[in-house]
Amino acid sequence: MARLLVQLKFQLLRNALRSSTPAKASFIVSTTFACLFGIGIFVILALLRGSSASVDLTTVILTLLALGWLILPIFAFGLDGTLDPATLALYPLRTRPLAVGLLAASATGAWPVANVIGLLGVTAGLAHGGLGLLVAVVAVVLQVLFCIALARFVTTSMARLLRSRRGKDLAAFLVIPIFALYEFVTQVVPRVAAEDKINAASFAGLDSWLRWFPPGLAAHAIQDASGGRFGTAVARLTLLAAIIVAVGWLWIRALSRALVTADTSTQSSQVRAGALPLGRYGLRGTVAARFWIYQRRDPTALVYWVMTAVIMVAVSISSIVGRQTHPGIVIASAVFGAGFVGYFHANSVGMTGSPFFVEAEAMTDRRSLQAYFSGQNVALSVVAVPMLIAICFGLAAAVRHPIEGVTATAVALAGLGAALGISNIVTVLLPYPMVKRAGSPLRQPAQGYTSYTLSGVGFCLLGVAVLASPVIVAGVLTTADQAAVRTPVLLLCAAAYGLALAWIGVRLAARAAEDRLPELCQIALQSSL
Amino acid sequence: MGEPAIEVRGLRKSFGQKEAVAGIDLEIAAGSVAGLVGPNGAGKTTSLSMMTGLLRPDTGRVLVNGLDIWADPVAAKASIGVVPAEARLFERLSGEETLEYAGRLRGLPVAEARSRAAQLLDVLDLTADAKRLVADYSTGMRKKATLGCALIHNPSVLFLDEPLEGVDPISADMIRRLLTRFVASGSTVLFSSHVMELVEQICDHVSIIDKGKIVISGTTQEVRGSKTLQQAFVDLVGSRASDEEGLSWLGSSSS
Repeated sequence: MARLLVQLKFQLLRNALRSSTPAKASFIVSTTFACLFGIGIFVILALLRGSSASVDLTTVILTLLALGWLILPIFAFGLDGTLDPATLALYPLRTRPLAVGLLAASATGAWPVANVIGLLGVTAGLAHGGLGLLVAVVAVVLQVLFCIALARFVTTSMARLLRSRRGKDLAAFLVIPIFALYEFVTQVVPRVAAEDKINAASFAGLDSWLRWFPPGLAAHAIQDASGGRFGTAVARLTLLAAIIVAVGWLWIRALSRALVTADTSTQSSQVRAGALPLGRYGLRGTVAARFWIYQRRDPTALVYWVMTAVIMVAVSISSIVGRQTHPGIVIASAVFGAGFVGYFHANSVGMTGSPFFVEAEAMTDRRSLQAYFSGQNVALSVVAVPMLIAICFGLAAAVRHPIEGVTATAVALAGLGAALGISNIVTVLLPYPMVKRAGSPLRQPAQGYTSYTLSGVGFCLLGVAVLASPVIVAGVLTTADQAAVRTPVLLLCAAAYGLALAWIGVRLAARAAEDRLPELCQIALQSSL
Repeated sequence: MGEPAIEVRGLRKSFGQKEAVAGIDLEIAAGSVAGLVGPNGAGKTTSLSMMTGLLRPDTGRVLVNGLDIWADPVAAKASIGVVPAEARLFERLSGEETLEYAGRLRGLPVAEARSRAAQLLDVLDLTADAKRLVADYSTGMRKKATLGCALIHNPSVLFLDEPLEGVDPISADMIRRLLTRFVASGSTVLFSSHVMELVEQICDHVSIIDKGKIVISGTTQEVRGSKTLQQAFVDLVGSRASDEEGLSWLGSSSS
């Protein structure tokens, strides 16, 4: 059984190499990254040799790796054919050999191997002497086993949920904390570290907690063995092994249950709303109603809004946590916020996917297309305008220059109009199919269309920056003027300017779409969401 | 017989090297139910997409009620309803909202769209699930909702691609009666299918398509002759499977 499943895994890997060029490329890229990752972790762990905080840092790194194992399978569900017990449920297999086989299959592949190689860095970094080396190798093996067993347990017990709509929605929301964490790590940590607020002591504090978790047990076992306390090292490793056995047992129980229980996809809830809103406003209102409902019910839409907010905060973060503040940075946040609202909707046909056919059947002339695009923009503005205003003022308050909030809001309003107009035009001129690929709960551009996405980002950000520049100039030049006069004039002018830009965008997009409706439809039909 | 409801002339479409539709001519009289049958990959869906203005043909004309769907899409599209093979519905709308949306997109007043949606949901036996999201619907329920969307603006010509796939027998019977009633009032239905019994039962006109060409077209009686439609179809298109001589072990479960 184990051999068969490992062979299956190799077969899947080989097939990935034989399939289409983009798939091959992504496989090679992934393998290269795995190698670099393995080597990188090895070097980092090895470099800790002699550092006073080496055991603390090793514990933190091992814990982070285990967390990666815990989270990634939730996204990668479907990436690995052997992950979903349902695909094996049809065959007459006993649970125990199946479990061993699945574990073996999990350990096969570039990433698990890279993990082992990387972790072996502890033999150079933390271990001293023969006994230390021996314990280090055992600890590495146990740590990898623990990670695999944990990942398998999580995916198996979540398999039912992840196969259902709700589970997939939930997985989409997991992107938010991960994205926010990434922004935090890349934006905040370097600045704080540069100001010497992160040092060995802060890791020791972390370690006092993490040492009792399995990765910490492994790290401290190596430390103990290297320091001659062989007894405690063995005790720690035994505890770790016991935890692995417990997780494995839980996993096997979950597996045997998952093989025979139905998934939850048949259970569903009802929506409260009885009918579509905005009945009085014709086709524009109808389309706006549909987009408005989607902003609330589609997890992807919610994720995009939160990402926009995170990006806006991230742009200004240096002035919020850093020592020197540049109040003007809030204006940059406004430009980025508006630009990303545009970018996230710059492929609305591809994102709507096959249901666009329902809309395309009803839309024929330029007038109806104008109603379509403006309806979409109205629905997005209902969310975007209050959100952008609130964040602009919030950021201005955070950098202790509330007056900048007015300028930033004006820029955001003008920029939003520009962004929506540009996104309408880009939707028509550079449409591309979106697919929900295994490995990500969010939609991604189909193979071969990545350049379209990049152009979309470029057009939206540059376009917003250029078109909003008159407002930026006006805002900066009038900062010293009397606020009671300046605020309403600036905001109203910016809003009117944004509205005009959006309206021009709608008209241009509708004119371009008139002759391309069947082609847009074909793009939409290629989307698989 | 007056002006044909659907008139197709020299319709062609190639995807790269492969010619999916190699010149189709078709004439469907108003008030009839026409079936377009053919094996998998014969070009049924491609033809229907071109007839409904969703896929630009390389050459050829499509007239619906005398209006060219490619030259005058505004008028032509207003009078047709389309049920594609795969349900293409907004997953995050409820069934009720879906139908109302389709009606309002077609320019129905809100109250009218709502009442027609409610009636269609009732006839299609979806009232109990009206407030559930389409994302949670089964295949058959999606198919029925799609049919509702295609009917809500009372089109004079209805195009259906595999209308009964995944639909349970009771609903299938209901859809059959719905289509019969629809046609009795003078409307026209063109549908593709590979369920021969269904075609035989409700179609008065059948066209068999294979490798992108119409092999035979005429009244159901003309096409099938003295045989069943199933047999006529197999004779015309040709049995594809070699005699299953390699499967000698299949069926003897003694070993």
